[in-house]
Amino acid sequence: MRLTVNGTEHEVDVEPDMPLLWVLRDELNITGPKYGCGIAQCGACTVHVDGLAVRACQLAVGDLADGAVTTIEGLAQPDSLHVVQQAWIDHQVAQCGYCQSGQIMQAAAFLDLNPEPTDEEIDAAMSAILCRCGTYPRIRAAVHAAAAKLQEG
Amino acid sequence: MKLKVLAACLLAASSPVLAEVDITPPTSATPAEGLEAWSRIYEVASHPRCANCHTGASDRPMWSGPSYGKTRPHGMNIRAGESRIGAEHVLCSTCHTTKSDDWAKANTTSHAAPRVAMDWQLAPVEADWFGRTSVEICEQLRDPERNGDRDMLALAEHLDHDLILHWAWKPGGGREPAPYSLQAHVNDILIWGTAGFPCPEN
Amino acid sequence: MASVGKIARRTFLIGSAAIAGGVAFGAYMVNRPIANPLLEDLAEGEAAITPFVKITRDGVTLITPRADKGQGSYSIQAYLIAEELDMDPKDTIRDPGLPGPAYYNAEVMAEGSPLPAYDDSATAETIRSVLRVVPKLFALQMTGGSSTVPDMYEKLRHAGAVARETLKQAAANRTGTPRSALRTEDGHVITADGTAIAYTELAAEAAALEPITDVTLRDPKDWRYLGKPGLTRIDMEPKCTGAEKYGIDLAFDGMLFASICANPGIGGALERYDASAAETMPGVRKIMAVKAGNAGVAVIATNTWYAIQAVNAIDCTWVAPAYPASSAEIFDALEAAVDDPETLDHRQRDEGDVEAALAEGAVFEAQYRIPYLAHAPMEPMNAIVRVTDARVDIWTGTQIPLFIKTRAAAMSGMEAERVFVHVQPMGGSFGHKLEMTHVEQAVEIALSMKGTPIKLTWSREEDMTHDYPRPASVMHGRGKVKDGKVDTFDISVSQSAMAPGWFGRLSGLTIPGPDATITTGSWDQPFAIPNYRVTGYRAPDMVPVSSWRSVGASGNGFYHDTFLDELIHQAGADPLEERLRLCMHAPSRKVLETVGALSNWDGPSMGENRGRGVAFCMSFGVPTAQVIEVTNTELGIRLDKAYIVADIGRVLDPRNVEAQLFGGLIYALSHAINSELTYEDYGPVQTNYHAYEGLRLYQTPQIEVQVLEEMPGIRGVGEPGVPPAAPALGNAIFAATGQRIREMPFNKHIDFV
Repeated sequence: MRLTVNGTEHEVDVEPDMPLLWVLRDELNITGPKYGCGIAQCGACTVHVDGLAVRACQLAVGDLADGAVTTIEGLAQPDSLHVVQQAWIDHQVAQCGYCQSGQIMQAAAFLDLNPEPTDEEIDAAMSAILCRCGTYPRIRAAVHAAAAKLQEG
Repeated sequence: MKLKVLAACLLAASSPVLAEVDITPPTSATPAEGLEAWSRIYEVASHPRCANCHTGASDRPMWSGPSYGKTRPHGMNIRAGESRIGAEHVLCSTCHTTKSDDWAKANTTSHAAPRVAMDWQLAPVEADWFGRTSVEICEQLRDPERNGDRDMLALAEHLDHDLILHWAWKPGGGREPAPYSLQAHVNDILIWGTAGFPCPEN
Repeated sequence: MASVGKIARRTFLIGSAAIAGGVAFGAYMVNRPIANPLLEDLAEGEAAITPFVKITRDGVTLITPRADKGQGSYSIQAYLIAEELDMDPKDTIRDPGLPGPAYYNAEVMAEGSPLPAYDDSATAETIRSVLRVVPKLFALQMTGGSSTVPDMYEKLRHAGAVARETLKQAAANRTGTPRSALRTEDGHVITADGTAIAYTELAAEAAALEPITDVTLRDPKDWRYLGKPGLTRIDMEPKCTGAEKYGIDLAFDGMLFASICANPGIGGALERYDASAAETMPGVRKIMAVKAGNAGVAVIATNTWYAIQAVNAIDCTWVAPAYPASSAEIFDALEAAVDDPETLDHRQRDEGDVEAALAEGAVFEAQYRIPYLAHAPMEPMNAIVRVTDARVDIWTGTQIPLFIKTRAAAMSGMEAERVFVHVQPMGGSFGHKLEMTHVEQAVEIALSMKGTPIKLTWSREEDMTHDYPRPASVMHGRGKVKDGKVDTFDISVSQSAMAPGWFGRLSGLTIPGPDATITTGSWDQPFAIPNYRVTGYRAPDMVPVSSWRSVGASGNGFYHDTFLDELIHQAGADPLEERLRLCMHAPSRKVLETVGALSNWDGPSMGENRGRGVAFCMSFGVPTAQVIEVTNTELGIRLDKAYIVADIGRVLDPRNVEAQLFGGLIYALSHAINSELTYEDYGPVQTNYHAYEGLRLYQTPQIEVQVLEEMPGIRGVGEPGVPPAAPALGNAIFAATGQRIREMPFNKHIDFV
């Protein structure tokens, strides 16, 4: 089975039913997407498939079709971090950090579809990713900052 | 709010659709038979597997089942938005991924996000069933203005083609399925339609 | 007594030792056995000390022995060294080091002291100095109890200063100028003429010198990093790019992946199992019964997912453990123990004459309870173990590396010196990783597959089923008011003992005497009430329990402050004013006054359907007050704003202190609102986040934090933000609705937005 992750094509020999998360982590050693719950409750595994946010624990690799996968490792440009990543660093969001690749991937996909979000929309978009350390106040601030930066161009 | 590429993510439900259902209307049905069929249709429409995603003007799907105590809004502050696919916030398809292959294993895990061979979405605003009475649902469902301009056969075909509806009878993961069966439900629609879409008195 | 105190204070003698290519600075190990040639990770000479700073031609390494579970300990430990070393920690290599006895944690036992933290008398200090020695005797290299900063504050700066001065001496010898004429900057010694000599160039020369140990630590006003508002965590960028590697992320050549299902009844045996369906499943390499830690059946496969799938296909028959099967029976046992003289564990507060006061007139009574709680950190338990004939290597995120080392040595029959525990950054812990069942299981599997690295990952379901939760407990309170004031306060708490079972699991040893955790956070509060009594009752051992962020204070803070709020209401007094009147500890009063000012406190009522609550708890030596404002909406209670004020003595990393405090509040509210473990058939019903939701972003109030620095000394801040949050919320709900909630989680009694 072939799949493209962060622009690189890979060949894997796994059951088509295997969730993309476990192909990334245990077959390809791409460990930015995290295992937290396995049932789409925590969002720590979030990646992009063709630019849209997807919980990698819910997508069977056999159903990926030709979808191009981007993980947190592939979000930045070679010479600069993604606006969302930079906002996360500026706001010192992470504590343990385990959920943050999911938070960042969700925020990046959200702002791509909805570049001028309201507070209410941020609350709706970012509440599906669980953080047990309680970094939410800074996530909220960082999404706002990233949105403002994106609007500046 | 501005949605940049909303259209781009309204992915067409282009998956191969299996015709699972026999659509043969009865030659005749009395109003009493129609009302009897309707009462079964209402059992299906008001069942959590169906009603939880027919929330009308609310863009919040509902959750119910033994783990939740009482029926409650979908956790995580999920809102399907005006798009009804969550494009303004979190796409439904972010968690309810499309499972095209190997349908039997699609929903074996308890409490995982249900998935079918098409994109998950909330029913249209007009199809407002959650918490509604039998009369209210009945009148909506027979009103072409509010049912997507469907006659009896179109309703039956919709049931055949919309795979999210099929999921209601095979929800997996320990969830309680909708009552009867997809075929029985289609048969009831056809009896109800042949009888002239009778609705119960208020 | 006094001499013991001196020994304790002098145990961080900093010395140096030559190592291959350079020099290491660290704590001297007096009477340490000679270096073991098997310790191939250590170069010659290094074994003479336990290093905090290593300098070679290739770079400067800072050793940060306290584990990082998200609280920022690696970062602050690096900055403590760097402040004196004059080097940006981002230009160094950071390494948690291999566990060693010299990294013992002197402060971790302080919270179990029989002296309340507000008591800074000479007697109290002497007793605390004795408690600091206990961890040393047990070589307790442990992370916990909000102790990293208090314990490391002087040690690490001292190590940095000794290293700096010794490097300067090396430069002085080389250049023929006196050391006093030299200064240091950004990893270089700067000579009088401005020549910069890199530390790395001086490493070999410094190794040949007697270390300069007569150093004076810098005055905080001269600090370059510590206390600065712009300080940033050194692990922030890797955590935002996916580069940070947690234990669960490591991989080794030839590694196989394991998962396990163990008896949900902890301590119960495996009677039999049928793995016939699992044997033929994809990727499965081996299926085996495991006895260590908690009996179960493990699958070893080529991918974690294959292992979990196969585990789920195994049919196990379990032997019941030695505790009641259900929450109903457990709470019956807790209720039976409260106020029973036979189960009296300790009474550390008994002022005035409670019995006489309660004997006459109307007595206000109320009964409270709190549930078992899982820690449920985002990263489930995992460990990688590789066993060969020569050594055992263990890679895992843990708060207790030396207990793991000792246990793995016993299990493998290997000398402890051949067991290497490589501590990894943790994706949260909250006390979960003070346990090691998963490591014991991984060691047993790896022992059966010598040479193959085995990564054992618990599924989320397995993790929550074997959490060793925060103890459930019940409280019965009685009180009286007089002349508009709180006059009598008497609470009795019944709980299974926590500390003895935990220490027994880790060490095989028993702790005699009372279990302080039953009343920590209630008996030790800085209030003067005329008749004031707090009593702990010891219920039987039931579900094995452990430390959960803020430990005893997580529940006792709720009991103490909410019952006080009830009595203040009975007295008709203002919640903030009456707490201030009763508080007899100046820094605590200041904390309460400050939270009042920050929240513009003008009474609990805020208009129709709105209310605010104040709560206070002193835990881990940190007086902390919180005010929470709520609105009772049609959809349920909405949390609008929260205010936190705490006094930690001295702030080293302002932004991280703020994050730890609001994170503590959010963690506490998560559980106060909607999380509990209930037991049926010996195991918890809630096994994943759908049933253990926690707080989500949209439910999080706006939070303002203010930190004071008036307490003596310096305190850790990972836990003190937790205890006041639940009572502040409950008191606010009472103010908004008139409904008093005496049981967590609150959503059993009221809806939330």
